[in-house]
Amino acid sequence: MAATTSTGGAAADRLRDIEALTDAGLAQLGVEDLLSELLDRTLAVLGADTAAVLLLDDSGSQLVATAARGLEEEVYQGVRIPLGRGFAGRIAAERRPVTIDDLDKADVLNPVLREKGLRSLLGVPLLVAGDLLGVLHVGTLTQRHFSASDVDLLRVVAERVALATRAQRADEDRKAAAALQRRLLPDRLPTVAGLESALRYSAGGQGDVGGDWYDMFVLPSRWVCITVGDVVGRGLHAAVIMSRIRSSLRAYALTSSPDPAHVLERVDRKIQHFEPGEMATALVAMIEPSLERMHVSLAGHPAPIVAHPATERPGGGTYLQLPVDPPLGVTQWRQRRATPVDLHPGSVVAFYTDGLVERRHDSMVERLAQLCDAVTPDEPERVCITVMASLVGQERPLDDVALLVLRRTELGPAEPLEMTYPAVASALGDVRAGLRRWLAEAGASRADTIDVLLAAGEATSNVVEHAYGPQGGDMTVRAERDERSVVITVSDRGGWREPRGTNRGRGSGLIAAASDDVRVDRGPDGTTVTIRRRLGRPPEGRA
Amino acid sequence: MTTAHVDTTTDDGGRRLRLAVVGEVDLSNAGAVEDALVAAISNEATEVSVDLGAVEYLDSAGLRLLFSLVSRLAVLQISLELVVPFDSPSRRAVELSGLAAVARLTPEASPPFS
Repeated sequence: MAATTSTGGAAADRLRDIEALTDAGLAQLGVEDLLSELLDRTLAVLGADTAAVLLLDDSGSQLVATAARGLEEEVYQGVRIPLGRGFAGRIAAERRPVTIDDLDKADVLNPVLREKGLRSLLGVPLLVAGDLLGVLHVGTLTQRHFSASDVDLLRVVAERVALATRAQRADEDRKAAAALQRRLLPDRLPTVAGLESALRYSAGGQGDVGGDWYDMFVLPSRWVCITVGDVVGRGLHAAVIMSRIRSSLRAYALTSSPDPAHVLERVDRKIQHFEPGEMATALVAMIEPSLERMHVSLAGHPAPIVAHPATERPGGGTYLQLPVDPPLGVTQWRQRRATPVDLHPGSVVAFYTDGLVERRHDSMVERLAQLCDAVTPDEPERVCITVMASLVGQERPLDDVALLVLRRTELGPAEPLEMTYPAVASALGDVRAGLRRWLAEAGASRADTIDVLLAAGEATSNVVEHAYGPQGGDMTVRAERDERSVVITVSDRGGWREPRGTNRGRGSGLIAAASDDVRVDRGPDGTTVTIRRRLGRPPEGRA
Repeated sequence: MTTAHVDTTTDDGGRRLRLAVVGEVDLSNAGAVEDALVAAISNEATEVSVDLGAVEYLDSAGLRLLFSLVSRLAVLQISLELVVPFDSPSRRAVELSGLAAVARLTPEASPPFS
């Protein structure tokens, strides 16, 4: 083993070796692979038998073995050393090099070091601009006295390792945060009959994602939920907290009463208990199954903009004057409030995060006024285009921008409805909900509605039960109104099968009885059932 | 998801039962509704009244379960009446189905549940 003291000239040679370590080729490697490469060089340069890097964990209280040469088991076993204890812990706590000439006489916490038969150790802290990243140490199997120039050399290595690690880690974090955000934030919103939607998301700042989120989902009770929010902070940490808040909002919305204030209260308690110190603004809106009203609760979040087709402010939207409760995670707030807001056919609602209305040099009031102007009772996709062009324009926003626009569809008497759902039993209720809303707009009476729902319900149940094999398929329901009748068509792309089981086959009789005319077109590409029902038909044959 | 639940009221020491179905019944939950009804009927029962007044939707999947309930209770010699008010949404399907031929159909529950 090389146990001699390095000379100045040899040290310069070694340094040249290290120069090669941080070349561009290594930039492609992940932190662990990069460290392995660097450790190989370190062994050669210092003539040591083992080398290891322990990085400080996120909590800042423990060192975790991350890469090792000659001591690989340290990494495999996930060795953790508390700060201040043992050899590595002391280096980290005191932020200075430590040498051990004879391991037998030293305080060492990690049994792997002894089991390996190491005799001498030299370790230095990994520091970048005064921040501690971890510890780098080398060891020899024969006793060796590490000289001052060995220490200096390892410090130079440590400096490079630290810089490369931090750069690589930051890059990995950025990529992970961006990936997390991309995976979590839906790029398609769920289809809800009677609602149109569109969204935009733009990462602001220096390419570092923030903690903004948006979400839209339908509950089994057919309430439609929208959540939008912003976790304070940036990067991977903010993205992780965002993902937790977003999923707890879903969980509480699913299990608590349809009251957004209630949902926010529970999520607030959850954050304060499990994520103390985190803070987020959030909006939860829950739309009634009839789509006639939405209930909104704000946790330090800006209120939505609403634009009605026939409004006192033609062309533009209004900032909803709603009570604002404190953000999530800051105070034991028990009385959050929710406010009902009427949604008329054709009404547009824009939900957003504050990145849209905050910009240096511009006042928030002016930006909000600009936003109100841009939100018109128009197609959501078009509203998004206008809002982003007007408020973001050609300047990269400082913060993330999330925008979600909804419109309650305007159903004129002649405006047809088309819904496509997977042919499964759980979709039948959604089909009925969509038809109910459409029939109300189309002017159907209560008796008409009962009959049309029954006929269409039987036709869709038939598709669910008989059209497809286990691989499944879709069903499409269309509704149209002409002068006196509604026409419902139910189509599938499957094959027909005779009903099986007992008490079956009652469906077609019901369809015929509940409608004025039924036509079934069976072809190789599927079946279409066309049901016509005159509106205001006198109740015939009723008890 | 379509949801419905069954509210049970008993009288005469559990011999008379009123089972009110509340919600919607279609293919997706008819099995669960049938299970809930059957579970509510103990062997001591002699008279069962199934109230469909609070059913917002009922189609052939729901009718199927009612027919099957009729035959099961007939075997057990438990009398069954179906309460379906004239203006209730399920009235139409029940009338068209011919259930009246096999079970007592009434617009109002008989005492003591009326």
